[in-house]
Amino acid sequence: MNGRIIEARGVTKSFGGLTAVRNVDFHLEEGEIVGLIGPNGAGKTTLFNLVSGVYRYDEGTLLFNGISLASLKPFEICRLGIGRTFQIVRPFLKMSCLENILVGMVGKRDKNGSTREKREEARGYLKFVSLESREKVLANDLTLIEKKRLEMARALATQPKVLLLDEVLAGLNPSEILQALELIEVVRTRLKVTIFWIEHVMGAIMKASDRIIVLDQGEKIKEGRPEEIVNDSKVIEAYLGESDA
Amino acid sequence: MDIKKIWIPLLFLILAIFPPFFLSQYWLHVMIISLFYVMMASSWNLIAGYTGQISFAHAAFSGVGAYVSGMLAVNLGVSPWLGILIGSAVAALLGLGLGYLCIRMGGIYLSLTTLGFSEILRIIITNEDKWTRGTMGLQVPGFFTDYSKANCYYLFLVVAVLFLIIIYCLIHSEMGLSFRAVLNDELAASSSGIDTIRVRVLAFTISSAMAGVAGGLYGHYLMLITPDIPTLGQMFLVLAMAVIGGMGSFVGPIVGSFALEILSEYIRIYGEYHVLIFGLVALGVARFAPEGMVGILSRRWRRRNLS
Repeated sequence: MNGRIIEARGVTKSFGGLTAVRNVDFHLEEGEIVGLIGPNGAGKTTLFNLVSGVYRYDEGTLLFNGISLASLKPFEICRLGIGRTFQIVRPFLKMSCLENILVGMVGKRDKNGSTREKREEARGYLKFVSLESREKVLANDLTLIEKKRLEMARALATQPKVLLLDEVLAGLNPSEILQALELIEVVRTRLKVTIFWIEHVMGAIMKASDRIIVLDQGEKIKEGRPEEIVNDSKVIEAYLGESDA
Repeated sequence: MDIKKIWIPLLFLILAIFPPFFLSQYWLHVMIISLFYVMMASSWNLIAGYTGQISFAHAAFSGVGAYVSGMLAVNLGVSPWLGILIGSAVAALLGLGLGYLCIRMGGIYLSLTTLGFSEILRIIITNEDKWTRGTMGLQVPGFFTDYSKANCYYLFLVVAVLFLIIIYCLIHSEMGLSFRAVLNDELAASSSGIDTIRVRVLAFTISSAMAGVAGGLYGHYLMLITPDIPTLGQMFLVLAMAVIGGMGSFVGPIVGSFALEILSEYIRIYGEYHVLIFGLVALGVARFAPEGMVGILSRRWRRRNLS
């Protein structure tokens, strides 16, 4: 079953006089991996914050499976089925890895099920991101890549249908990037999660995405398959500046 | 829970049965007051230590509990036992209202609003002397027909232990997990599906209800309810106990309450300055050892076990 799981039309958000996101249309098909790229300050993270309810958009419509996200709070959007990670990782630092996952499970589950079952399920998520040996370690004591994996597992524990990934590859070395890409592919195929993904590591995002959306100064300047994007003059201009020729 | 964990509290509980047999009336009184502070500091720790909301209205809520129960007893002849429950319910309702209004503001604004609330309440109680007898104090009946400190001690012990059990279960439940998530990172918690406002208001309400019970018990034990109960001085003493003992830990406020209450009996000669001294110590602890006495001791304990 394929359909538009997220549909945005004319989404606009201003902070005072600055329009961070201007009249953006986009959609996500179920099961897709869609990359969101653009130079710094293009409004990528703002767009994520609009989808996840951290900010409210001023104009336009934003639908998740036909439900308007306009007046929903972040926790309600999460419970609907949109999970996210943060550009600067935000695990619960003074809680153990297992507890981090359990928090992700609190909101959505039916209250039944024993503590033991829940812990077992939470261990499953830790195992999924290869952190099963760190169960009792405080999130604060993890390395950066482990924190990123933990945050992703926490987001997955909320059982999202759409996962927003904000620069999960930043700061990782090449072999870690390969591992992360594999993990994301498994999330898509095995957990059937649609992925919307901001990334600056171009090689990786071009390889992994089905479709790429390019933002520049708050506006969508291009959308298409990765190979169309890399050769587009507008995109190159946005990244490198206007050519003199 | 494993055996080792349950033995230690059980041991303390058994030891706690004996004080009335050998303590003088004076020290038994100190013990009872300490138990009152255990209730206050532990329930304050529930909001401040576990959800990160520094409320200054905790003493005010204990005053609400005390005065509601006291006035019911004096004017309508309601039994203190029932009165305390009603007082606690009123404190919980006020807590719910105040929490609902100011918790969205969060942080320092919550502290300032609760500080204001606390002072307003104290002024009303002091001035509405037709109802509260103002600074003269409200003379109220005690719990037992024949006055006995030993009985009061057991009453306070039972309620304090009950509170501690409730708090322990809360912080080890899913709700406690939500409390700590909110404390750690509010944005991440709400993006993980946690209704942060609801969690914080809930913690605030539960803790207000507990303060109400504690205040009611205190009033009927002393048989005199004065506007000293809902003062900021009292509030800062509770705060100092939780902070010095160890905020955000279960045992911290218990240790802090006994330590400071007993200590304050020895430094009584300095008059009201003891609150000032405790305040300064609490400041130092908050700055240099935020985990409090319990934190320092448990770290030393762990280090010794390692080496």
